[in-house]
Amino acid sequence: MTQSSRPGTSPDMRVRIGALELKNPVMAASGTFASGREFADFIDLSRLGAIVTKGVSPQAWAGNDSPRIAETASGMLNSIGLQNPGVEAFCAKDLAWLAENAADTPVIVNVSGHSQSQYAEVIERLESERVDAYELNISCPNVDEGGMAFGTTCEAAADVVTACRPLTKRPLIVKLSPNVTDIAAIAQSVEAAGADAVSLINTLLGMAVDASKRRPKLARVVGGLSGPAIKPVALRMVWQVASAVTVPVIGMGGIVTAEDAVEFLLCGATAVAVGTANFMDPTAAIRVVDGLEGWCRHYGVAAVTELVGALEVDA
Amino acid sequence: MTHSATPALERVTVLANDRVAEGVGLIVLLAPRCAASVRPGQFVHLRVTDARDLILRRPFSVHRAEGETIEILYQVLGEGTLRLAEKEPGDTSMDLVGPLGHGWWVPEGAVHALIVTGGLGAAPLGMLAEQLAESGIAAVTAMGAPTASRLVARDLYESVTRRVEVATDDGSAGEHGFVTAVTARLFAVERFDVVYTCGPEVMQRAIVAQAREAGVPCQVSLERLMACGIGACLSCVVTTTEGRKRACVDGPVFDAGEVCWDDSELPPRH
Repeated sequence: MTQSSRPGTSPDMRVRIGALELKNPVMAASGTFASGREFADFIDLSRLGAIVTKGVSPQAWAGNDSPRIAETASGMLNSIGLQNPGVEAFCAKDLAWLAENAADTPVIVNVSGHSQSQYAEVIERLESERVDAYELNISCPNVDEGGMAFGTTCEAAADVVTACRPLTKRPLIVKLSPNVTDIAAIAQSVEAAGADAVSLINTLLGMAVDASKRRPKLARVVGGLSGPAIKPVALRMVWQVASAVTVPVIGMGGIVTAEDAVEFLLCGATAVAVGTANFMDPTAAIRVVDGLEGWCRHYGVAAVTELVGALEVDA
Repeated sequence: MTHSATPALERVTVLANDRVAEGVGLIVLLAPRCAASVRPGQFVHLRVTDARDLILRRPFSVHRAEGETIEILYQVLGEGTLRLAEKEPGDTSMDLVGPLGHGWWVPEGAVHALIVTGGLGAAPLGMLAEQLAESGIAAVTAMGAPTASRLVARDLYESVTRRVEVATDDGSAGEHGFVTAVTARLFAVERFDVVYTCGPEVMQRAIVAQAREAGVPCQVSLERLMACGIGACLSCVVTTTEGRKRACVDGPVFDAGEVCWDDSELPPRH
């Protein structure tokens, strides 16, 4: 490990995701942060590396029936179903609010669709707006059409990227599903189709049962598992994907503390996202920002990029 | 109309934690910031453990606030409330996010209110009853419970509202039967300007129907499973005439007229 920083000097926390420079590697993960407004009472949004918005579709989606969540051991299941007001309302309300209140923070819009053309429709609408990058959501387990269906075969995943790539020069991030046999192969296929980065993992498909009622706890029966319970799976997948592609990897899955974030960087993630922890503590993302800088200072890391892929594995 | 103060993350100290009815505890928390700004019907999102196995906060309505303290009435229903019941005075391991949500409001010109509680539904109406008394609004309280040992907060309602009528399913306190029989009689003989209710959803629906029949505006406090509690996660949605709203920020108190009751969910377990 490099011991180049002198005590008292600030570590360089900047990272790059394609053409996008972030002031630090810590993002708020899609679906756990709305568009940031709800968290502005608790944290300074301008201190985040980036905000990844909740999934946005061409028209409004109503989402799934309730109950939509169930707590599980060290985690939770959700089956929200990408409820969102549609891209028009998103521009008028969310992006307008962000432009006024978090102008210094890169905004990455999570793009959702029931078909390839719907992903394209959202991007075309957003091209004239202040958006810094897109995250293609081909991994939501909670919608019947599209969603995860695009993320579970190499061909379908590549096709969505191929459809969107000509529409924008902005960084295209592809959010990958862990509900596959070989996530590295999917990552390679979206990289070949022109993705600038990959983010992973989305939630793991799971289920919870109320034995006394003989009923599933979620109205939709199945949902996506998130939280600390999934961190070992996420680390393994980030490690595998980072070893298989050259584009940057954004790692997430159960990050609660700065040390969790460091683990993802060591496994090869260039940036990380804090997700379910935002529900546990509305200041969680900033605690990770501060903690990561403190960690670098403590261990004499001059630039956070030194940690990326720095896991020491015996040959 | 209540307008909530800015919520904050606040470390709390347990001052007292006692069993007050069968399966029900009353915990008193030192929470100066929340206590100073909480309005009737609002809630706090309490982290009951630092352990990583239970990751979500638990929403609890604020029963009363006095000086720098808030009181929470809770029913032991699951692992989270079990751990809450074990907290000793002096404990500083918990923090809350709050005050949260849109609480009860007093319609312009209202002078005569009816409060209807079912079981632990007595919890979120405590502060309201006190506020009504302070502003000179005459309130009648109708309380329902399965049995006398599960009737909570009767003393509070007897001290601040004009009259309390009780019904228990087994007749062990008050009249034998459901609180809806009490309210049916009250609606027949008295004129109310507003009805406030919280309790099991089947009871709430019956009260809402009676209020509508009597032509009286009605407010309901709804319980939903929540993750963030601040409007971001969309877990706690309530189907309304204006589409899906969030119980945590648009509620938990709603105008009964806007709630579409056919989209109910199973009662949450804490």
